Amino acid sequence: MLEELCKKAFFKSLWLYHTNTGACNGCDIEVIDVLTPYYDAERFGIKLVGSPRHADVLICCGPVTRQVVPALKRLYEAVPDPKLVVAVGSCACGGGIWYDSYNIVGGVDTVLPVDYYIQGCPPRPEAILHGVAVALGLLDKQVAPEALRQLPDSSESVPIED
Amino acid sequence: MTAQELGASLQQTFGDKILQVNSPQPGRLYVTIDPDSVVEVAAHLQDDLGCRFVVNAGTDRRRQRGKFLITHFFAKDEDGIYIALHAEVDEDDPRIPSITPVVPAANWGEREFHDMVGVVPEGHPDPRRLVLADDWPEDLYPLRWDVEHGIKPPIADCTPERKPPPEGSSVVPIGPYFPALEEPAYFRIFVEGEEVVGADYRGFYNHRGIEKVGCSVLTYNQIPFIAERICGICGCVHSTCYCQAIEQAAGIEIPLRAKYLRTIMLELERIQSHLLWLGIAGHIIGFDTVLMQVWRMREPLMWLCERLTGNRKTYATNVIGGVRRDIEPDAYDDVRSVIKEIEREWQALYDSIPGDTTLMARLRGTGMLPKDMAIEHCAVGPTGRGSGVEIDVRVDHPYAAYDRLDVKKCVHDGCDNLARTLVRLDETLVSIGIIRQALDDIPEGPVLAEVSEDIPAGRQAISTVEAPRGEVFHWVLTGEDNRPERWRVRAPTYANLQVVPPMLAGSALADVPINIGSFDPCFSCTDRMEVLDINSGQLRTCSAEDLSNCRR
Repeated sequence: MLEELCKKAFFKSLWLYHTNTGACNGCDIEVIDVLTPYYDAERFGIKLVGSPRHADVLICCGPVTRQVVPALKRLYEAVPDPKLVVAVGSCACGGGIWYDSYNIVGGVDTVLPVDYYIQGCPPRPEAILHGVAVALGLLDKQVAPEALRQLPDSSESVPIED
Repeated sequence: MTAQELGASLQQTFGDKILQVNSPQPGRLYVTIDPDSVVEVAAHLQDDLGCRFVVNAGTDRRRQRGKFLITHFFAKDEDGIYIALHAEVDEDDPRIPSITPVVPAANWGEREFHDMVGVVPEGHPDPRRLVLADDWPEDLYPLRWDVEHGIKPPIADCTPERKPPPEGSSVVPIGPYFPALEEPAYFRIFVEGEEVVGADYRGFYNHRGIEKVGCSVLTYNQIPFIAERICGICGCVHSTCYCQAIEQAAGIEIPLRAKYLRTIMLELERIQSHLLWLGIAGHIIGFDTVLMQVWRMREPLMWLCERLTGNRKTYATNVIGGVRRDIEPDAYDDVRSVIKEIEREWQALYDSIPGDTTLMARLRGTGMLPKDMAIEHCAVGPTGRGSGVEIDVRVDHPYAAYDRLDVKKCVHDGCDNLARTLVRLDETLVSIGIIRQALDDIPEGPVLAEVSEDIPAGRQAISTVEAPRGEVFHWVLTGEDNRPERWRVRAPTYANLQVVPPMLAGSALADVPINIGSFDPCFSCTDRMEVLDINSGQLRTCSAEDLSNCRR
């Protein structure tokens, strides 16, 4: 349903606001990388903006640290509706390797409602691009075919079909 | 002067205030002193012997010794010596005289051990909280051994303590979020009209408790994985530095080929980091073409690193005793062709800078960091070298294979943003030369030493690596249960950011982003800015456009 709504709500260019919620910068650099010539996300109308008030999408990288919680909540409120939240990287998706550290609250979804998760440490630029394209409705979600899941012996390789 | 001679001279000067002197490894001096004489000894090291302050650490040794251990680290760069000044503080009266009044660079470190182990630096000029969140409970010190690493006190409302602005000035808050890159940080810039008269900094939004996790949950061999994630840009630096510290403590000699492989990866990382910085600097001054072009140059390097190690940036190549993965000889040509292409494009880039009026107008003569200020605040890396401070760990305290390679210190004495830019550009070329030389000289052989014995508890080691941003420092005190008792990490930005507030004074508000950015914390522009009109007392918020208009 979300995908259908997205197609209706975000049918024009998506403007992103990028935040680091406590990350090591690995994901942040890859997010910027997606905008540079080799990956060029701007051809999909995706643009990084300097203010949350201009944004449609909040990109969050990193586990949420204690210091960041109030700022992140304010940031989310500053983004006008309708809005999407994308968690980029393993830490943002669930706290990653820091999940039980004293200064970490958890993944981004402990503070904000997250719509899309992009995994990886850090996710490759292609993965970020793919995630955003799925969110935009440019691509269908791909899952492993039923045949692969039922395979008793995982050592036998089966090509994944599109 | 060797470390032993330095120890003897300290004993001679201070007599029985020096309780113990010990130099288990060459170039490392561990001195235990009486806590009451810490100011005297620190001042002697800095002012009379010309030592550079590095960092300080607080360790909870109540289980072993019934005391807290406070350590101040100094470096004597011209002799290649690192000095640790240990002082044991009684657990019932956890106080130690602050050395910040005589050694200004100790400011953050002392506030940090106050936060983390609860030892009070007495007489500290600015004893506010530094690392922990403002709502963290007052009497809970996370680095004490009896505090669980996973403790999560409930989040509470609170008002943070802030430095009051000077009389008659307005406050411009910047942060905590900047739209482009890097860690959140919160600057409050005090301005009179366009001129900056002072600044206050609140950072540590990215504090993830790495030292606590390393010392309470993980084992020696698991820590390189987490060390690599201290920084997503220069992670290899941290894992190398940690592995070197453990190898030094355990007396492990790693194979020569592994040393060369580490050197190659560190230099590849330096090139990508410097190019990254140059792009960001271009973005900060509103010249996005630089960002796009330079990052295009950088991308083949990322693919190369992925071919060599399996990942674009967190290489996961270091393990204790050597490296995990060899570089096959047929990959040498890949490396050579990628760096050759970067060298060619670098030349075009370098030639175009002096002719570019935009770059020159924004970089030349802005962000002045005079040499004496850089030395006083112990700036490291390109920040220091751009102000004529000739320190480079690769030359002063050689590690990996750098003692066999031709490394040149790139120093400029312009003291401005342009000098810091030129240092990084020069270093990119030097790194390319180092990689070429390393590929020519690399010997055959194993890449991993046999590590069989357990590492005995109670040993310590200091290891440093020249990261793209400056000196990375790791101190390890080995412990029981196959993990360090204390692992102290100091990233170069920790030293460099402390010089930002004094440096900003006197500059124009529009130059603040590039001045901070030129230290390479990759500060970009700001998400929002509030101006407090002191006459009416009203708060108004400026939009991003207002801000970009004032910075371009």
